[in-house]
Amino acid sequence: MKKIILSLIMTAAVNSYAAVSEDSKIFTPYFDMTLLEAAYVPSEGNIFSGGNINTQVGLLTKITAKDSVFGLYNFNYSGPAFQPQDSKQFTDRSMSHGFNFEYRRSLGEKFRVRPGVSYMTDYVRSGANEAWQNGLYNMNSKGGQLAADYNFDFDRNGFLTAAYMVRNIAFPNYTDLLREFQNADNTAETSGGLQDQSLTQFSLRPNWNGFFAGYTVTQQNYKHQMVVDAHSGIYGATKQKDKSTTFDGGFRQKLWIFDLSPMLSYTMHRSNQNFLRYKSALATGFANMADGSNDITMVAKNYDYNELTFSVPVDLNVTGKWAIGGSINVIRRAYTDRGARDVDNNYTVAKQKNLMSTLTGSIRKRMNDVATMRLFYSLVVASSNNKFEKYMPSNYTGNSIGVAYQLSY
Amino acid sequence: MKKLISTLTVLLCLNGISFAAIDWESKGMQMAGEIVANPSAFFYDFQQDLEGTTPLPPGKAFSVQTGLFPTLIPMTYLNLSGKYRLHAEGRIAPGVPQVDLIGGYCDMMAAKMAVKDSDTIDSAKLNGYYMGAILSSSVSPKIRTFWGYKRSVLGAKIEFTPGNELDLLGTKIGNIDTGFKDDFLMAGIETPKGTNKVWSMQLNYGLRTQTFSTKLSWSGRFFELGLNIYPEGVLVFHPVWNFHVNF
Repeated sequence: MKKIILSLIMTAAVNSYAAVSEDSKIFTPYFDMTLLEAAYVPSEGNIFSGGNINTQVGLLTKITAKDSVFGLYNFNYSGPAFQPQDSKQFTDRSMSHGFNFEYRRSLGEKFRVRPGVSYMTDYVRSGANEAWQNGLYNMNSKGGQLAADYNFDFDRNGFLTAAYMVRNIAFPNYTDLLREFQNADNTAETSGGLQDQSLTQFSLRPNWNGFFAGYTVTQQNYKHQMVVDAHSGIYGATKQKDKSTTFDGGFRQKLWIFDLSPMLSYTMHRSNQNFLRYKSALATGFANMADGSNDITMVAKNYDYNELTFSVPVDLNVTGKWAIGGSINVIRRAYTDRGARDVDNNYTVAKQKNLMSTLTGSIRKRMNDVATMRLFYSLVVASSNNKFEKYMPSNYTGNSIGVAYQLSY
Repeated sequence: MKKLISTLTVLLCLNGISFAAIDWESKGMQMAGEIVANPSAFFYDFQQDLEGTTPLPPGKAFSVQTGLFPTLIPMTYLNLSGKYRLHAEGRIAPGVPQVDLIGGYCDMMAAKMAVKDSDTIDSAKLNGYYMGAILSSSVSPKIRTFWGYKRSVLGAKIEFTPGNELDLLGTKIGNIDTGFKDDFLMAGIETPKGTNKVWSMQLNYGLRTQTFSTKLSWSGRFFELGLNIYPEGVLVFHPVWNFHVNF
């Protein structure tokens, strides 16, 4: 907490001199605040409200013609909302503070390198309303990154960015409650830290004239979590490793009276972790996916999936101030090995597939050069061939209506 | 793919929209439970409605403010706030921000009236105050960012007459002495919408309790209309109407 306070004070103190900098161009402040609040009506369960707050405060300081420093603080709150299947409960919330400091050095006219450090703390709260500090999945992340930019077209903002990032991620409150319960001699120390991991990410992103694309590889190496052996069903000596590869692309363009910003991404997630499904605490016997109705079933490569996401937001500018907006957003996840379950928790022959589609209609008012307000209505349809929904909903319809504000400078 | 197409067809035709029957009774009980679990947090949200946490307009030296809705009406909070400008932007040296001191006090009359009409409550107090400072700095002719600190305190104390203690699940509760106290950091941005009219947006974050809120406000010469949002509060939206005079 001391770090947060100190950093906030530093950010505030430094930014207070931004007015001078406007003329000298030594200091360039950055402020972006987005606020969204909505009411949600799901087909299962009761009405609830939720929202999202994102505040980014940054300052770019030009030290010499070639050297500059950029500091950014980011506050983010994600409230209750409809969620894609297999992710989290509607009532889960999270709040994070992120700090990022970056040194920028120009190399000639076309190249620039950007080494940086980053720290983030993330609080996660479930529908049980536990105190923020007590969240089971609270997380701290710290690390560094090195990015390099190559500018190949100054006139049309064409550049290529390569970035390498390393993070050390700790979950201080996480413990395996089941393991502690099963073994009385076990302690929180031996059952804790199972989510702790190191994360490395490499990305390559070209941009040109409003068009963008990306290739991102993310590797997560767990420090303590072992893999469940696919043959014996017990934890072995291999540590869990996850890898995600993502391709994405899109553009932001103004065509006549339309503002378009479609985006498409495809992710392949692979993990060496397996999953042992118990139908009950007293279940006995052991089978693989060939016998999906057994009381205990081993699902090898349970977490491997391919996910396609696309969104097509369009704003029709009726006047300079007013616009009518619409968007379609689709998330389709197909598990490579995990079978879909029937209502009795038996695995079927078909592989699990989830689909979540959102259709949104909105009215946007541009209040001035820096502020906009948007009223919106969204219809969400989530469907899956997984019919076992005792803990998480897989098939539901939801309606939401809300308001969003954005002020960006 | 078939599924995708059919789902999109359904979406586009807006067929099959299913609304769950909203169980307002259940929702009301849930909200009541949240108030009982943490009453001071519930009442503190109303205190935030009356707190003046935007900077004085450029050229003004001090101001007085009172919250009208939902503070005075219907919550019966008698309240008075003030701002005093210590330093005008750029006066000492170019770029040095404006510095304002802020503060205020509120007292809920309903708590006092409840004592008069009750044989079981000896005394009831619900009052609070806040104080702090705001730095504001123009970053362009149309944009001013502001940064601040405030300390907010709310006290809630109820004493029951002997023999009439509150019975909660078989446990006798003689007195309730609770409250809310936190140090907040504030960050916001404002932009003019006309002569004497300002549109602003700000984030308030409590360092100890991690209470946070956002305030949107449209401020005119004498009145401020606002929409305060407490994402983790019992009542998420608070429409706000405050009266102020700037000198």
